[in-house]
Amino acid sequence: MLESFVHVCLAGLSKGMFIWLVASGLTLIFGVLGVLNFAHGSFYMLGAYFCFSLLSHLGHNFWLGLILGPLFVCLVGYVVERYFLRYVYHIDLPYQLLLTFAFVLIFDDLVKVVWGAGSIGSPSVAGLSGSVRILGRLFPSYSLFIILVGPLVALGLWGLLEKTWAGRIIRAASSDREMASALGVRVPALFTAVFVFGTWLGAVGGGLAVPYVGLLTPGMGESIIIDAFVVAVIGGLGSLKGAFLGALIIGLLSSFGTRFLPTFDMFLTFILMAIVLLWRPQGFFGEEAAR
Amino acid sequence: MAKKKMTRRDFFKAGLLTGAGACLGAGVLKPTGLWAAPAKVKGPVKIGYQAIMSGTLAGYGEFHKMGVDMAVDEINKKGGIAGAKVVVEYRDSTLKAPEAIKNARYFVDSWGADFLGGVDSSGQALALAPVMKQLGKPIIITHAATEKLNEIEVFQKGIKEVFRISSPTYQDGNAAAFVAKDLPAMKWATISPKYEYGYTCWSMFKNTLAKLKPGVQFVAESWAPFGTTDFRAHINTILDAKPDGLYSVEWAGELISMMKQAGQAGLFNKIKHVMLPVGAAMDVLEGLGKEMPDNIWISGRYFFQYPKDKRNTAWVASFVKRWKHYPAYVSETGYSSIYAFKQAVEAAGSKDAKKVIAALEGMKMQSPAGERVFRKQDHQAVYTVPWGLTAADPKYPFKVMGKMVVIPAQDFFNRPPFKGPESMPPFKK
Repeated sequence: MLESFVHVCLAGLSKGMFIWLVASGLTLIFGVLGVLNFAHGSFYMLGAYFCFSLLSHLGHNFWLGLILGPLFVCLVGYVVERYFLRYVYHIDLPYQLLLTFAFVLIFDDLVKVVWGAGSIGSPSVAGLSGSVRILGRLFPSYSLFIILVGPLVALGLWGLLEKTWAGRIIRAASSDREMASALGVRVPALFTAVFVFGTWLGAVGGGLAVPYVGLLTPGMGESIIIDAFVVAVIGGLGSLKGAFLGALIIGLLSSFGTRFLPTFDMFLTFILMAIVLLWRPQGFFGEEAAR
Repeated sequence: MAKKKMTRRDFFKAGLLTGAGACLGAGVLKPTGLWAAPAKVKGPVKIGYQAIMSGTLAGYGEFHKMGVDMAVDEINKKGGIAGAKVVVEYRDSTLKAPEAIKNARYFVDSWGADFLGGVDSSGQALALAPVMKQLGKPIIITHAATEKLNEIEVFQKGIKEVFRISSPTYQDGNAAAFVAKDLPAMKWATISPKYEYGYTCWSMFKNTLAKLKPGVQFVAESWAPFGTTDFRAHINTILDAKPDGLYSVEWAGELISMMKQAGQAGLFNKIKHVMLPVGAAMDVLEGLGKEMPDNIWISGRYFFQYPKDKRNTAWVASFVKRWKHYPAYVSETGYSSIYAFKQAVEAAGSKDAKKVIAALEGMKMQSPAGERVFRKQDHQAVYTVPWGLTAADPKYPFKVMGKMVVIPAQDFFNRPPFKGPESMPPFKK
């Protein structure tokens, strides 16, 4: 029983951290730009496909692919923000959603044209392809790696936002766009930079998914983006701290649900979301973001 | 309102063109006398085909299309169906039932389809059945597997318009039990999709195996919702129950993810007997490549290594030549569905829906998958698909079937009237 408990815990942690990697970029973009970016799942997908392509061209060096792949996606993110999103900031949220959703469809089809409509089984990572024996049962090393990467990304983001000059400007622009602009911050350029950075986070999530999910398919961003949205809502839209906590809770909840309450595992996350929305409509840390 | 209205001149032009066309049609295009082909059927035979072409399963749509396109090109090159050209239009079924219905209505009401084909999900097929009755055109289902389609919709409710050329869940549930009865495993568990298809297969497998092998136990079930990418919690559930056999009707990408994650968790070291009723799908075998362990039981709706006869070998060769790809099972069922319509129209001497339905009932046809017979009572094609153990073969970059077990379809397909134990296997000889 203990071994099962520990393993379900680990499975939940790795799932949660994996969702966090995707939710972090989504949350950052919402917190600063105020845009709910549906296309974030597409950046995740593109990240995965670019990493995979580089992987097969670069002699199977996963790490090199993980560094270079997301850079290509950043370029895509730049174009999306600079030439499209920028023109809808001032109009209603539904239009932003429509635009970003249009990109989801476009990118799905582009992936089909370039890489084919079929699913591609992806290789495992040299060095992390094995498993570790924990309490007599094997646990994939790569999942452990994901469990470590999640908090590192959180720490990095916290450091960036709280401890650096750039972070101060980002926080300033996110709490009062006009004031920041009046004080000489080039808000449009800052928005582009934040969007591209958020895109990069999504694409890195996608790159890390290559061995984690073990599969590339067009439309692969759609399932993860729903989890990421739930996490972002529970945590309080725009709050990174909230998203991290939300991802941990959702990961563990779904893992324990699958193991111990299998009939309700699909409901659990949404029930949690409903409860949180009733009890605290702004999410765990919503106030901070709305400050 | 910038919409152009048709001017009177345009109207005349259109009239002239149609008139000229009609004269030409009557005078020039129609061969007369001894040289006329036996054109019993007027105009093109139009087939509306729908399959999943978007989202994570878009690859299935491509595989459907490869098979259907091949049949259409072959048939048109050899003079069409009873002298008439075949035309196919595709639409994305999106796996959602309302979309499937919309497509069917579009095909028949707007596009003028004579026949319909395709459909991947069981939910869609069940929702479509009553609509097909309204529309009054025959459809040949090429993928959706629920036995409720032939047993309830066709047999019980008498919807004559629905036929199925692909094997139903009998292959996944009953045939699997026939294979499992000869394995030493006594404790079985499952990780399967958390919807109709998963539930129905597992319960059929359990019922039939319990009859064939008294004392067998079913110790755990873990259901994965559609779109699951992380199976680690499910795998833990199974390991906790310590079964000696695992049965899973996970399919497509989700099966690939599950197999990889099960391998990482060391599941195959602990559970020696693994059965994957849809593991012989090409996307799964290619997606897993060398990571598919040896000695896993797999099956499907068709597998390109069976039957080892001339027709199938030649078909596989020409498929590989054209598409640089081995045929997936939906390629074969799609391909054969077009030929089924051809044979039925030629037998009926007409593309009239009622006559074609009558011709399809009880029709025997030769296809790459072997001989198929559309059962008259429930419109289900009866044909045999093997079960096999995965093995490496230097000829292929993926695992194929090594040892094969062939159970004749007649022995394990549920039989009309689909009531009581006499309708379900095992049958007395």
